Amino acid sequence: MSDDDPGAAASAEATPDENPILYVARPMTTAARQFVKSLVRPSTIVYPYERLEDPRFRDRVAVQAGKPIGVGHVWDNYRGVHALNIATCISCNLCAFSCPDLCIEMVTVPGTDPKHPKKCPEIDYGKCSYCGFCSDACPEGCLTMTTRYELSTPKRKEMVYSPERLYDVFRSKLPMNPIRLELPENEDRILLDPPLCIGCNACARDCPTECITMLDVPKPEAKPGTKLPKRIWKEPVVNDSDCVRCGTCISVCPKECLFWGSRP
Amino acid sequence: MSGATLYSVAYALCNDLLGAIGRAIGGPAGRGLRSTDVVTGLAVLVFAALLLAASMLNTIVLIWYERKLLGRFMDRRGAMHVGYAGLLQNFADGLKLFRKHTTKPREADNVGFFFGPTAYVVTSLMIFGILPISSGWNSGVLPLSLLLALAIFSFAPLFIFVSAWSSNNKYSLMGGLRSAAQMIAYEVPLLLAVVAVVVVSGSFSLTTIVYEQRNYWFWGPLVLALVVFVAAMLAEMERIPFDLPEAEAELVEGWNTEYGGMLFAFFMLADYLRAMVGSILVVLLFLGGWTLPTWVPSAATSWPLAGIFWFMLKTYLVFGLFVWVRASLPRVRTDQLLRVGWNRMIPLALLSVFLAAALVTVRCLPLFGCVPSPGG
Repeated sequence: MSDDDPGAAASAEATPDENPILYVARPMTTAARQFVKSLVRPSTIVYPYERLEDPRFRDRVAVQAGKPIGVGHVWDNYRGVHALNIATCISCNLCAFSCPDLCIEMVTVPGTDPKHPKKCPEIDYGKCSYCGFCSDACPEGCLTMTTRYELSTPKRKEMVYSPERLYDVFRSKLPMNPIRLELPENEDRILLDPPLCIGCNACARDCPTECITMLDVPKPEAKPGTKLPKRIWKEPVVNDSDCVRCGTCISVCPKECLFWGSRP
Repeated sequence: MSGATLYSVAYALCNDLLGAIGRAIGGPAGRGLRSTDVVTGLAVLVFAALLLAASMLNTIVLIWYERKLLGRFMDRRGAMHVGYAGLLQNFADGLKLFRKHTTKPREADNVGFFFGPTAYVVTSLMIFGILPISSGWNSGVLPLSLLLALAIFSFAPLFIFVSAWSSNNKYSLMGGLRSAAQMIAYEVPLLLAVVAVVVVSGSFSLTTIVYEQRNYWFWGPLVLALVVFVAAMLAEMERIPFDLPEAEAELVEGWNTEYGGMLFAFFMLADYLRAMVGSILVVLLFLGGWTLPTWVPSAATSWPLAGIFWFMLKTYLVFGLFVWVRASLPRVRTDQLLRVGWNRMIPLALLSVFLAAALVTVRCLPLFGCVPSPGG
């Protein structure tokens, strides 16, 4: 075989023992085999009409270490739309605080007492990056992430999920991320700087978990020549096991006498 | 087969229509309207319109067929949303292209830019007027219909080159040059393979060639010619192993880079018209046209339009072969293409001509057929 083109000669010499008929026959048999296989049913799943979660795709469930770890290709720990249980939400603001995209806003849930409105997270999925920090931070496990992934909508407004919509997601009982029931070991404690406290009860009033109790302190004797500070003779005591470390008490304290620290 | 042909149906329709109108008008004008010349002229027009509609419809269905087949080859489903199983998808695409604005590059040649695609699609449609579809379903008895069909078929490089050159785009021009080189290189083995068929059948008329295959189809004795013909036809149709003229990886879209809207639709349509003609020619020359082997029970062929049914079935199967090749093989290089064309195809085609001549001389043809030749 004489070739003027050196490139063609080189490629021809790369596989000198190949029968040129095989160049045509081999790919054609491969294609024919694929054709026959997909005549029965192509691998494509016609998505809007059928989806991987359907029971007939059970055989495609991903298996890890011998046991299935999800329905179809949606894993159980998939981070999709949030589910919010309004009933157990304590309005601690930790989800909004932990959100790196600032997509969570605490809004008033309609139908609650107007004097003491209940505030629950409203999530803007246009901004959300599905990092899951909020559901990790939620102390009550009421904000979790589900396997729902269908969010497309023609209006930008509809990307904002009000607490009621998130509650609807919760009620649809989708597979959810495992709720973290055990709080991780947290050395942070709410500490009090006693001389500054005026016993105003703001911390105990606003604590979402009601773990702060105002206890009486003995009124000291006034030293001669001095006056006792004008205050209520009570001091907050924090129940550390109930505290969710939301920091509400610190932010509402008028005298800035509460702070983070570790108890000796 | 039924006696009615497409032309006779059209003629009867025009005769009745013009007769009724002519009688209603009365006088010399009415008599003139009823005259044979006018009726024949209108019948030819109606016949042409029917043929045009049928070939267009078939071509669009052919595109759908290719999309579905390619889908299965690639482990997916083709078009499936518009109409049943996506049958109307290509009509929707065509409508979209029809609505689109046709733009012409400022420096492009005004005449050639529009003449090229139009002539391309018109010449591709002309071939359908020549090809016989079933016994009686042909448009007139042309003794050299095979030659005429192939002559019109080989107009294409001219028009492709005209439209490519007048686009005033380097990619278009390179695509046009490649197209011309490729089509001329493969015209020779294509015609030589046809010569083998002509030698065996002894006729240039497509109807006669099909008639000569009543005992055995020519693909048996002329398998070499069939292989050469199919390969050369793939190159002539510029389908995927030989689609260098519109190699979208190197030349943007080849010779139709500058075309959009309806002009692009013309090119697309003409490409598939030519693919259809290629499949039909394979069926007519090698696969017995509308006939079936004699061992097939006559019930399969006795019902009306059976010939057309079997003919179309064979055509679609042959086109399926082209799709299969498209799904399997990668694009060849220019040097490979031309080397295969000149160094391999032409000797093989010549060999097949010699084989055909030898077979005719020795009269050993019936060995390959299902039944001994009646002449002996």
